[in-house]
Amino acid sequence: MPTNLASGAEYDTVGQKRWVWPGLALPGIVWLVLLFLVPFYAIFAVAMGQIDPLLQRPTPEWNPFYWDPTVFGEVLAGLFGGQLGVIALRTIAYVAIASLICLIVGYPVAYFVSRKAGKWRWLWLILILAPFWINYLMRMMAWVNLLSPDGQVNRWLETLFGITSPPNWLAGIPLVVILGLVYGYIPFFILPLFAALDRIDDATLEAARDLGAGNAQTFWRVTLPLSKNGVLGGLVIIMLPMFGDYYTPNLLSGAPSTRMLGNTIDQFINQTTSQGAVGAALTIVLMIFVAGLMFYYLRAINRAAEEARR
Amino acid sequence: MAYHPRENWKPTLSKRVYTRRDFIQRAALLGIAVPVLPSLLAACAERDAEDGVALAIGTPASPTQQPLFEDNPAIESGLPPEEGPLLLYNWEDYINPEIIPLASEALGVEIQETTFINEESALAALSSGEAQYDVWFPTSQRVPVAVAAQLIQPLNHDYLPNLGANIWPQLADPYYDKGSRYTVPYVTYTTGIGWRIDLADSADIEGQANPWDVFWNPKYAGQAGMLDSFTDVIALALFRNGVKDPSVATEAELEAAGDALVELADSIRYNIDVAYDGLPNGRYAVAHAWSGDLVNSQYFWPDGVDQGTTRYLWPAKAEGSAVNGPISSDTMAVLKGSERPVLAHMFLDYMLGADNALKNFEWVGYQPPQNDLTPEYLIGDEWVAEHLAPALVVPEDFELGTAWVQGPLDAETEALWSDQWTRATAGG
Repeated sequence: MPTNLASGAEYDTVGQKRWVWPGLALPGIVWLVLLFLVPFYAIFAVAMGQIDPLLQRPTPEWNPFYWDPTVFGEVLAGLFGGQLGVIALRTIAYVAIASLICLIVGYPVAYFVSRKAGKWRWLWLILILAPFWINYLMRMMAWVNLLSPDGQVNRWLETLFGITSPPNWLAGIPLVVILGLVYGYIPFFILPLFAALDRIDDATLEAARDLGAGNAQTFWRVTLPLSKNGVLGGLVIIMLPMFGDYYTPNLLSGAPSTRMLGNTIDQFINQTTSQGAVGAALTIVLMIFVAGLMFYYLRAINRAAEEARR
Repeated sequence: MAYHPRENWKPTLSKRVYTRRDFIQRAALLGIAVPVLPSLLAACAERDAEDGVALAIGTPASPTQQPLFEDNPAIESGLPPEEGPLLLYNWEDYINPEIIPLASEALGVEIQETTFINEESALAALSSGEAQYDVWFPTSQRVPVAVAAQLIQPLNHDYLPNLGANIWPQLADPYYDKGSRYTVPYVTYTTGIGWRIDLADSADIEGQANPWDVFWNPKYAGQAGMLDSFTDVIALALFRNGVKDPSVATEAELEAAGDALVELADSIRYNIDVAYDGLPNGRYAVAHAWSGDLVNSQYFWPDGVDQGTTRYLWPAKAEGSAVNGPISSDTMAVLKGSERPVLAHMFLDYMLGADNALKNFEWVGYQPPQNDLTPEYLIGDEWVAEHLAPALVVPEDFELGTAWVQGPLDAETEALWSDQWTRATAGG
C-alpha cells in the first residue's frame, strides 16, 4: 500500500484528494441551484403571493411567513371536480394514447434498426433523425399546411380516392392532435429504446433458443424484459414534455375541445394581468404529477440495477 | 406575430388587503401557526395593508385628465437633443422597420428597438426598473396605471408641433388623457368580424341585427375562428348576448357568456393569427379580427387566392346592427427614466408627421389618427382596398353610442372573466 494512502483522512482509496470527486459535481450543483431551485422557488413565491395594488400584477412573496395558499386551494378544487379537471383528464388521455402509439409504432422500428438492419443501421438511424434537425415548430407548421382544407393531404385524397369533402383536419379533431404529439416526440422514444435493445447480448438470445424457446418466447421472456428500462426511459422522455406541450394543440387544432393543460397555464400567465398565480400554482401541481412519473422510472431502474447485481 | 398589441386589460385599484385575521387563518392553513407572539403576527400583517392608488380612468362620455406629480416634471422647452442611441420599447412587429433608419437619419442618432410580447411583461419590466428605455408604446387602457406608477413623464408640447397640426381633435385631446399630458396617439382600431365572401354568405353577417351571432351559426362550425385573447372573446360573447357594456357585466351575464362559448366547444377555434393565417389560407370562413390586422392581411395571401374576397364589419357601426362593438387606440409615451427625453420627444413628433405615419401604416396596417389620412384618401390612393373600407376608423367612431371602450377590470372581475374562459376552453 502506497504511503500517501495511509493517512486516510485526506486521500481516498484511489489516491485522489477527498474533495476532487465531490468537486466535480460542483458545476452540476451550481447549475441545478441557479436554474432549477431558484426558478422553482420563484414560481412557488408567485403562486403563494399577492397582487400588486397598483399594477394588478401578481407579486412574488419571498417570505414563507406571508404565503397565501388560497390560489392553490382554488386550483386543486378546480382540478378535482372543476373545469380544470376536465382539461387535466384530457391532457392525461392525450399523453397516454400518444405514448401508447409511440410504443406500438416505435418498438418495432427500434427493434428492426438495432437487431435486423445489419450494416445499414446507420442509414436507418439517420433517416429516423433527419426530420428532427428541423425545428419542432417548423415541422408542425408544415403539418398545418399539409392538413389545411386546400392542402396537399386533401388533394391526394381527392385524386387517389375521389374523396371530395374530406374532414377539416385542423378543426379540432383530437386524433390529429394526438398524432401530432406522436410525430413530434417519437424519435426521442426510439433512440433510448434502440440503445437498450442494442445492448442486449446476442449470447442471451442464443442461450434462450438453446434452452428450447421459440422466436416468440425468446422475445417475450428475454428481449422484452431486457429492454424494459429502455421502454420506460423512452416513455418518460416523451411524456414529460408532452404534458407541458401547448403549441401542438394550438397549431393543429386551436379548438377549445382539444386544449391541454399547457394551453391553460399559458393562458393564465400570458393572457391575464392578475391571474398569473393560478398559472404558477397549476405549473407546480403539474410538476409534482410529472415528478411522480419520474420517480417511478428511477425506482424501476434502481430495482433493475439491483437485480442485475444479484 | 406572436401576440398582437391588443390587450384590453386596464388594471384598477382593487387590492387584496391582509387583515390580521386573514394572516392567522392562512398561517394556520399552511401549518405554520405557531402559538407564539401574536403581537408579532399583527405587526407582520400590517405590512401588506398598503392602499391602492386612485387611477384616473376616462371614457369618451366622461374624459379624464391625468394627474401631474411634483417629482415627475416635464422637460424644459428649448433644450438641445441628447446624444444617441435612442431606445424604443415596443410590441413586436408594431413599427415599420423602414421607419427606423429614416427616423434615425432625420434625428441624427442611432435608434434601437427592444420588443415585448405582452403588456404585462412590459409593465413588469418597466416597474421593476430593470428596463431602461426612452420611448414606450402603451395601449390607451394602460395610460392611467402608467401615470400613477410614474412610469412615464409629462410631455412638453413645444417639442410636439405635429400633435396639434395633424392629429384628429378627438385623439389630440383624448378621453383617457385630456390635454395629452402624458401621451400622443399612435394608432387606432376596432374589433369586428372578418370573412371571406367565397367561403361564407355575406348575408349571414351584413344587415343582421346581431352580426356577432354568426359565430354561433352552425353553417360555420369548424370554419370560424376567434382571437386567442380571452378578454376579446368574453366581450364578444357578452355583446352577442346583448350586453351593452361588458366592463360592468354582472356575474349572471358572464355566466351566460360562458355558456354561449361552451356551446362552441367543438365548432370554434382560437388563434391569434386569424387575419394573417386563418382567413388567407381558407381555414376560416369567418373570423373575429382586429381591423388593423385585416387591413394588413393583404400581404399574407398565398398566390392564386383572390384577395378581393375579404370583408370586415364592425358591429357597432354596421347597418341594421343593434349590438355594440369595441374600439381602441394605442399611444406613444416618454418613459420617466429616459436619459434622452428631448430626443424622445423629437421621435414622437417625427412619428406624428403625416408622411411618416403613412409610411408606418403601410407596413403595420394599424391606422394612425391623422387628419389628412382620411378613408377617402387611403382608399383613393390605394393604400387600402375599397372593399376593406369598413376596417378604417373615423374620428366620430369614438363618439358613437354603440362604440365600446374597454372599461377597468379589477383583479376580482378579471378572475370572473378568466373562469368563464376556462369553462369555454374546457369544452363543457
